Amino acid sequence: QFLTELTRLFQKCRTSGSVFITLKKYDGRTKPVPRKGHVESFEPADNKCLLRATDGKRKISTVVSSKEVNKFQMAYSNLLRANMDGLKKKDKKSKNKKSKATQ
Amino acid sequence: MPHYQAWEEFTRAAEKLYLADPMKVRVVLKYRHSDGNLCIKVTDDVACLLYRTDQAQDVKKIEKFHSQLMRLMVAKESRSAAMETD
Repeated sequence: QFLTELTRLFQKCRTSGSVFITLKKYDGRTKPVPRKGHVESFEPADNKCLLRATDGKRKISTVVSSKEVNKFQMAYSNLLRANMDGLKKKDKKSKNKKSKATQ
Repeated sequence: MPHYQAWEEFTRAAEKLYLADPMKVRVVLKYRHSDGNLCIKVTDDVACLLYRTDQAQDVKKIEKFHSQLMRLMVAKESRSAAMETD
């Protein structure tokens, strides 16, 4: 599902550009808030968040709830860390080995 | 739009901002492999906090913080669900 797509997104962008990820709390609203006093009888759910990812061209998104968050987080953290590895490594002694970004 | 240099300050300010109004705050993470850097932004559409890095050691911190925020967002539900491990 979402995680596979996210992996693919990261892989695709390795050579080109940016990956944007957005995290936002979600209250389960599917209809816009009505202007007149017509109150919608829906239950605002407080335990979900919305996660989006895009590479500028394609957009993917998913809703994460408290039930899924544990499993999702583990996979998601690994994904983030595995993919954001193009950054400089700070070493005290920089040997003459040039750190090549392996693609 | 303050750019934070100290990670500690950033996380403290970001968490405060989120707790002030959880519904409004969103977190944006931007990674650029070609530039080799990572940028995290927390905003409630009024204030905006920004932190940029190109250090591998920060990736772990940022990713952990991101997970923390995710947990905060899903945490309001009945405790029993969170306690149970399925």
